[in-house]
Amino acid sequence: MRYLYIISFLFLLFCTNEKLMAQQKKIIVKGTVIDKGDKNDGTLPSVSILSGDPLKPIGMTDGNGNFSVSVDENATLVFKYIGYVTHKVEVKGRTKITISLNPDNNQLKEVSIAGYVSKTKETSVGSSIIISGKELQDVPVANITDLLQGKVAGLNIQQNTGSPGIRGSIAIRGLSNLTISGSGNEAFLTPTTPLFVVDGIPVDDNSSYQYGFQQAGPGISPISLIPQEDIANMEVLKDASATSLYGSRGAYGVILITTKRGNSKIPVIRYSGKFFVSAVPKLRSVIGGKGERLLRIDQIMTSDSSYYHALGLVNGTEFLSDSLNAYYNNSTDWQSYFYKTTYNQTHNLDISGGDQTFNYKANLGYFDQSGIQQNTGFNRYNLNMNMQYQPNSKFKLYAGINNSLGKQQKGSGNGLINNGVAEGGASSSLLPAPSQFTSVNSVLSAIQTDNDNKTVNVNSTVELQYEFVKGLRLTSNFNYTYNTATEDNFLPAAINNNVPSLFTYNSVKNTVYNRNLLAYVYSIKDKSGEDAHNFNAYVFTEINSANYKADAIKSNKGVNDHIRGPIIGVDNYVTSLGGTLNDFYQSRSVALAGNFSYNYKQKYVLDLSYRFDGNSTNGPDAGYTKSPSVGVRWNFNKEEFLSKLNWLEYGSLRLSYGSNIVPNGTIYDVYGKYVSGNLYNGKPTVNLDTARLPNTNLQPTKNTTLNAGFDLALFNNRISLTFDTYYKQVDNIFRTKDLSNTNSFKSVTTNEASMVNYGYEANVTARPLPSSSKVNWTISANIAINHDVLTHLPDGVRQFIYVDATTGQSILYRVGLNSLSNFIYNTKGVYSTIGDVPVDPLTGLRYRIGGNGVLNYFQAGDPRFTDLNGDYVLDNQDLVVAGNSQPQITGGISTFIQYKSFSFSAQGSFTLKRDILNNALASQFQIFNNPTAIDKNGNRILPQGLVPLSLYNYWLASGDNATYPNPYDFTRSKIVDPFRFAQTLFQEDGSYFKLNQVTLSYLINQKFTKRYGVNRLNVSLTASNVFMISNYSGPSAENVSALGRDSSGGYPNPRTYTFGLNVEF
Amino acid sequence: MDNKRYLSLFGVLLFGFAFAITACKKNLPDARLSLGSDSQFTTTVYKPVLGRNTLFSNNFNAASSSLPLSFKIINMRRFNGDPAPELTENFPVTVWKQSYLGDEKSLAEIEAKRTTENHPLFEIREHSGQFLMWAKAKSDFVRAQPDSGYVFDVEMTNSGGRRYFKNFKLQPYKERPYELSAADPITGQISSGYIFPGIFNNIRGERTNRYLSPVEVQVLTRKVNDTGNSLTFKFVDSLYNPIDPNKFAATQWPTVVHGFDMVKTNEAVSYKVAYPVPLAAYPTIYTDGSGQAARAVFRYDRQGFGNVKESAQLGLYFQLFEKGDWEITFWFRTERPKFTND
Repeated sequence: MRYLYIISFLFLLFCTNEKLMAQQKKIIVKGTVIDKGDKNDGTLPSVSILSGDPLKPIGMTDGNGNFSVSVDENATLVFKYIGYVTHKVEVKGRTKITISLNPDNNQLKEVSIAGYVSKTKETSVGSSIIISGKELQDVPVANITDLLQGKVAGLNIQQNTGSPGIRGSIAIRGLSNLTISGSGNEAFLTPTTPLFVVDGIPVDDNSSYQYGFQQAGPGISPISLIPQEDIANMEVLKDASATSLYGSRGAYGVILITTKRGNSKIPVIRYSGKFFVSAVPKLRSVIGGKGERLLRIDQIMTSDSSYYHALGLVNGTEFLSDSLNAYYNNSTDWQSYFYKTTYNQTHNLDISGGDQTFNYKANLGYFDQSGIQQNTGFNRYNLNMNMQYQPNSKFKLYAGINNSLGKQQKGSGNGLINNGVAEGGASSSLLPAPSQFTSVNSVLSAIQTDNDNKTVNVNSTVELQYEFVKGLRLTSNFNYTYNTATEDNFLPAAINNNVPSLFTYNSVKNTVYNRNLLAYVYSIKDKSGEDAHNFNAYVFTEINSANYKADAIKSNKGVNDHIRGPIIGVDNYVTSLGGTLNDFYQSRSVALAGNFSYNYKQKYVLDLSYRFDGNSTNGPDAGYTKSPSVGVRWNFNKEEFLSKLNWLEYGSLRLSYGSNIVPNGTIYDVYGKYVSGNLYNGKPTVNLDTARLPNTNLQPTKNTTLNAGFDLALFNNRISLTFDTYYKQVDNIFRTKDLSNTNSFKSVTTNEASMVNYGYEANVTARPLPSSSKVNWTISANIAINHDVLTHLPDGVRQFIYVDATTGQSILYRVGLNSLSNFIYNTKGVYSTIGDVPVDPLTGLRYRIGGNGVLNYFQAGDPRFTDLNGDYVLDNQDLVVAGNSQPQITGGISTFIQYKSFSFSAQGSFTLKRDILNNALASQFQIFNNPTAIDKNGNRILPQGLVPLSLYNYWLASGDNATYPNPYDFTRSKIVDPFRFAQTLFQEDGSYFKLNQVTLSYLINQKFTKRYGVNRLNVSLTASNVFMISNYSGPSAENVSALGRDSSGGYPNPRTYTFGLNVEF
Repeated sequence: MDNKRYLSLFGVLLFGFAFAITACKKNLPDARLSLGSDSQFTTTVYKPVLGRNTLFSNNFNAASSSLPLSFKIINMRRFNGDPAPELTENFPVTVWKQSYLGDEKSLAEIEAKRTTENHPLFEIREHSGQFLMWAKAKSDFVRAQPDSGYVFDVEMTNSGGRRYFKNFKLQPYKERPYELSAADPITGQISSGYIFPGIFNNIRGERTNRYLSPVEVQVLTRKVNDTGNSLTFKFVDSLYNPIDPNKFAATQWPTVVHGFDMVKTNEAVSYKVAYPVPLAAYPTIYTDGSGQAARAVFRYDRQGFGNVKESAQLGLYFQLFEKGDWEITFWFRTERPKFTND
């Protein structure tokens, strides 16, 4: 971009001299410059046209890529455009010429940003990958990060949820945290989302906006408020050398987002509209009506202890015996009441223009998506504007303001998990469907719950740059972000014990950010006048201040469904709640950082940086954190002894080392908290809160990375390869540690755990056809292999078990193993006959569970659990380390083919070596444990629908070699629990390949469209989430939690079909 | 020439690069299991009764150690420090190969489920830390109380290291070949005389027509010889005259005991049985609810005064641990039971 400005700036200077240079025998040459890299054959505005010897600028293309220059008959025209291969053409008396410019695919010339300063990749020592905004346009998404899946090696994105507006989990280079909260299907791994830096401003995409955090408030991420049409490019910084200057939050990696700027002298108006259909994916099949009743009766009659007891049980269960009762004589497809196909749209209008001196952009966007679950959806409205004014080379002013409004409906769930829908959708088909005469709570709550969330984000930036003396520039950047979020949730009386309930929430957050950067560039020329020794140094200070406060009121006693108020906190002081939530915070951070880089003719590059960070949540004894980094790079293709190799376009080796931090905890973890206590002598007291022991030495989590990289391009850039290997050590991992009950305090937060990730990343891009071919074909693939090892636990222990009280799917932390291991029972098939059950040689008794009752002994048809300690009793001493919930291999593959006006692109992503706990399947089997729908207290519960088991190889009669135990033996299932969640039977291989998108687009003949004043018109058809290839028996191997648990409460990822329209005036 | 030098330098650098890729893993900790200092045996003195298979469970708390652990008994010695070959050397013992279910149809079928293996008489289960003593251990060569018994240590290992637990005590009691028995656990001598039937209902005396009390019936258990494998039930009156077992007409004879080839005479009823009785602590139709003891019940019905049906039961919960011909006698010490209708 910068070069573009410089070139156009130079051109402006030369413009004034045009007449002086004019010579005789001139002809007027007209034509168009076409972008060969654009699949729609778009034109290129502002292309510099040069001619003569020495070359002098003589003109440039207008906003539609047209030019008209006056030159000699036999002149040679040179077309230059940054990022494109320079094209020469001889006029030879022609007056009309169409030029195609090929994009320069040399990745080394890409401009990469590290530490707020732009560099070419050739001189950057870190590991980073740039994704062009063009690649992010085909599929309409609420959150742009969804589209990075499978595009960047080492960036693991899992679209865990299809809920509109909520984004999936993102992690760069494996795990960085060990903390798990919750249990069962709602056990979540604390996310380690990278830091987003949008146009140079760090954006706090903190934990309340993402997968794994379900709390009060709308939870709309600021990143979800950026329209994909406004993105110029995204860059993913992976190693500490690249991220070290992003300091105080960069330990989990950094994703830079650059939005579009104006760059055409003639204003360009682009409209982009998409209409898309979100289709419900395949839901589970259920047995309906009579089939369900007969199956239940048959199960009782064949599996109960005696015939007469079974008969009594059937006759005593009204929904089985009373088949003439209309209430129980139904065949309801419950899922159809919760899921629907939706029709959605997004529109975006982009107006931009200007030149190097002054340019501007305004982007107006609207996005509307209804979720496939009833009453869920996401809308976004935004107006983003920026302008840049640079009257001369010394002074530059940039200002931008982004306004966005996000609205979200979460239905009866929390946006991520909707257990109401899961339970309702799993109801027995025998129950009556909702109608005029019957109502069903789960349906009512899903449809009638009134949930309205609004997030308003206003983000304004001013940047001033001034060059005091040549090479010395001061840049000052000031940003203010204001974010307010409200949520109103109304539960109608019918579903809330006949009293309507109202919840309202609002939060305000403001962030002030300031950065002052002083940069100096100096070069020493060698004898030939070439820049040989290049020095680049800069220092900057950074100040970040954030305030956040959220208030909520809940009124549990509304008057009726029609009067939604008044909200006063005191209608009933026992039940009503209100006040400021305890996630209130004020945080400050300051940093001082410096960078020095040196290169010799861009051949040998050295980069050093150092950063001090102070944080208000650091303990007072922790002090400033120091993050050094060092990197070297050798571009060996510039060595003379390799210069003869024509096939070598470029090649380089990179080595870097550095560290980075991310702050932990809250100020209360450091200083403790005072709470009001009991009265003493009639006066209120103030006590120290004994729940948490203050830790004045609380440190930020520190991430140290060692990276070695290798870049290679061969055969005129037709094959390019990047390979990186890294060792990432995460120290000072934040954990809450329970204290012994001999202490006054219950727990303390410490930084005692450490872990290591190491792995390899490779990216290959190939252009199999020569550039002269009419077909432009690119294919690229990337893969990342990551292994993580737990290296240290608090107090030096070697292992620690996170016990899961809900499903028993505990997590084992053991030093030397992968950080999060599933710790569950090992199931090795099913006992085919009773003789297969192991026998205690001493007592003659079979292997058993717990007590001594006859039913406790294993029988044929029971799962074959490993008896780890050999005591012939199955108990929690028989748990084994069974699997790794974290993906170890991720990657993607994409291809792009263009022929004339047609272009086709496809992109897929894959995840390999990952274990999923299929809790959904386990609970489907568990439903058979209770054919009469009686809970353990003897009360009738809502019967649940039965799924056909014919797909599964289960045990039926003695001698069967089955995979799944006998589902029908309901008399013993409460004791044996054969379908318990915590067993390897339901731990499945979660490897998958997903075809993320397929796009076909067509550029309508420009001659035709121009007649109607339209410069370009292109239409496209896209299918996304097309199919998934996987061994996994559940519906989707991706739609699982970050801990690899597939719960039936999840929100399925829809398949979308998009019709897109791009118009440029 | 120069080029070659550069190329070799280039090669060295490439090699170094490759080395850098692979070298990082070296300093990572290996996946050793945890061996916690809080792991302990909760029982250190073990007092099995000789002549029976005994299993000591729930005696070890792994705490923070990783499972599986491996255990080994070491330094098994007599209390005075002498070696104890009787507990360290292998002896042939009877082990179960298949589970006892209670539905076996013959002695041969039961015996087919058992076999003989060589084991030390006192063992520790390798991974669970349970102790077990085999029935082959008898007081004629194993030191039983009142001797102070044996002392031993246990070694616990896993890949995280090893620990020793010292000075466990093994103080076996003398055999008690049958239960219920009135034998003193330490001396093995019968101290007090009477064992009463555990099941005793609605039995009236023939002479007085009153309900008899269980204390008026004494159970005498006697081993006739060591070689046979039969169990005989006898009923005798106060003068030791036999009572015809057929008088207990309502008895479910096949379920009295898990035995075969019933021989019922006017004086006794006997079964061929496998030892011990019961064979396993498994609830069957022949045992009490827990499966710990065999249950033999004899019944008869009679018409009482006022045309009332009186269902009488006489029975016993018992265990037999040694092979032989056993005889259990119910001695009505006061008067005969009344079998006739009123």
